Amino acid sequence: MIKKTDINTLKVTGDFSNDRINEFKKNYNDLKRTSAKPVIDLSEVQHAGTLALAFLEYISRNKKVEIRAAESLRSEIEEFAKASGYENAETKLSFTDRTVATVSDFFNELGDFVILSADIFYYSIRSIFNSSGRRKGSVFEQMFLMGNNAVPIVFLLSFLIGLVLSLQSAAQLKQFGANIYLVDLIVIGMILEMGPILTSVIVAGRTGSAIAAEISTMKITEELDALRVMALNPLKYVVAPKMLSLTVCLPILTILANFVGIFGGFIVGVLYLDLSLDIFVNRTFDVMTLYYWWQSMLKSVLFSWLIVLIGAHFGFKVKGGSEAVGKAATSSVVASIFAIIMTDAVLSLIFYFEW
Amino acid sequence: MEKENVIEIKNLTAGFDGRTVLENISLEIKRNEIFVILGSSGGGKTTLLKHIIGLLKPEKGSISVFGKEILNMEIDEFEGILKRIGMLFQGGALLNSMAVWENIAIPLEQHTQLENEVISNIVKQKLSLVNLEDAYYMLPSELSGGMKKRVSLARAIAMDPEILFFDEPSAGLDPITSSDLDELILDLKKKLGITLVIVTHELESIKRIADRIIYLQKGKNIFCGTIEEAKISHIEEIDRFFGWDKD
Repeated sequence: MIKKTDINTLKVTGDFSNDRINEFKKNYNDLKRTSAKPVIDLSEVQHAGTLALAFLEYISRNKKVEIRAAESLRSEIEEFAKASGYENAETKLSFTDRTVATVSDFFNELGDFVILSADIFYYSIRSIFNSSGRRKGSVFEQMFLMGNNAVPIVFLLSFLIGLVLSLQSAAQLKQFGANIYLVDLIVIGMILEMGPILTSVIVAGRTGSAIAAEISTMKITEELDALRVMALNPLKYVVAPKMLSLTVCLPILTILANFVGIFGGFIVGVLYLDLSLDIFVNRTFDVMTLYYWWQSMLKSVLFSWLIVLIGAHFGFKVKGGSEAVGKAATSSVVASIFAIIMTDAVLSLIFYFEW
Repeated sequence: MEKENVIEIKNLTAGFDGRTVLENISLEIKRNEIFVILGSSGGGKTTLLKHIIGLLKPEKGSISVFGKEILNMEIDEFEGILKRIGMLFQGGALLNSMAVWENIAIPLEQHTQLENEVISNIVKQKLSLVNLEDAYYMLPSELSGGMKKRVSLARAIAMDPEILFFDEPSAGLDPITSSDLDELILDLKKKLGITLVIVTHELESIKRIADRIIYLQKGKNIFCGTIEEAKISHIEEIDRFFGWDKD
């Protein structure tokens, strides 16, 4: 029982087990508020649990509090203090050291990424000509997973983006009677920018994260080591099929997205801007040059490589347990989208100003 | 006749991030013996194993397998050596996306040009060796811990390796399954003439199967020899490990 015997004293009787600690703490806090010289009377307590010992040791550091306890309990408290009283050697780095460490970590990681990328390219190219060390049918299986299964979502989202983009611009164009230029806007916008970017962002979210999660799980469960011991190179066995199939799938998805997005623009043009069907179609083919398609395909091939390489990089560098798998997947998506948009910006500037 | 050494390690020193895990280890493993690596937790047992199979690179020393130095070896040549060894990982390390038969077929499909039917028959025979005929089409996620290890063993012996490595084969197994596994190991040694290198803690199994042992203490080799020799060596750590200090 925990009871106040007088204005300054809190008395505990019976076994001071762990489940009484909250009650005791509440009483103790009340006592501390009302009394200038609190006394904890534990003289009848024979044994206390670890939680009680820890708390008693903590309050005994307050010189104002008097603890009355039997010799055995007092020595238990002292023992606890001894066993827990060591300093943890936490290494604290100065701000400069931390900055240097962060920067050098970044460059180390970048170096690792470059080396891994070179290896992946090497094994992917090799495995085009020599399928040994690669699972039978794995490229087509991956194409199905990465390409075919992504069609509905790419279809829907690029249609909506094409539609909305046209609608917002149509309102402006209408004011100047420049309705026909909607075609130029949507064709160039989709083929050069929205098609490749939208598709690769969707694929980065779908496939890039899956690659990172799969490889990191394989690393944690020693599956990669098991492959190595079977004289199989994980880059060739696991990564090369993904690299090859995404290099094919992403451009195809991009072509699809471009056309579907333009179709979205077509609906706005015909229904909202009263363009006739043959005018829209003729103008479309006037604007759509091979040069634009070439840029679009170049972008999507580069983006597909970025997605696989970044996914693989985060997968292979994982350390730890299941939590790290989730982190690897998330980081790979963020990093791929970042890399995709950066690359897109650089390429667009180069092509626009024809450097 | 003295048997040839299949593995020779000289003055191996290894570590991670500046922390030494193995210090100046030298040992020889002879053909067709069961060599057990013992030691306290964190003593460097698994690290030693991973160095022998080339998964980790040492700081100093030399490792030769089948009489050939494996460090600085060309990758193609090293793969040739890997095809002659098998390894059973602690958690089984089966590829989770593939069924049991596909897992066992990996090395056969990749390293031979055999017909699918022949491969399938080899897989069946290996599965019956480990008493898992029913698991052919199962996925690794449907197997218990012990079954995973047995499938992993079937995969490791798929190519009839000359050396088989085990990383804690009986960890997490009940005594009966564990003793069945010991029987299987002795069988492999006798029938196929395999050399076995095993990391384990299980006293019973060590006493039953080990020909020779190495005892690692904080990365140092404090004893290497037969169990009888260990008993008369009177090294305190080893006496405590085997419980001989109480006799």
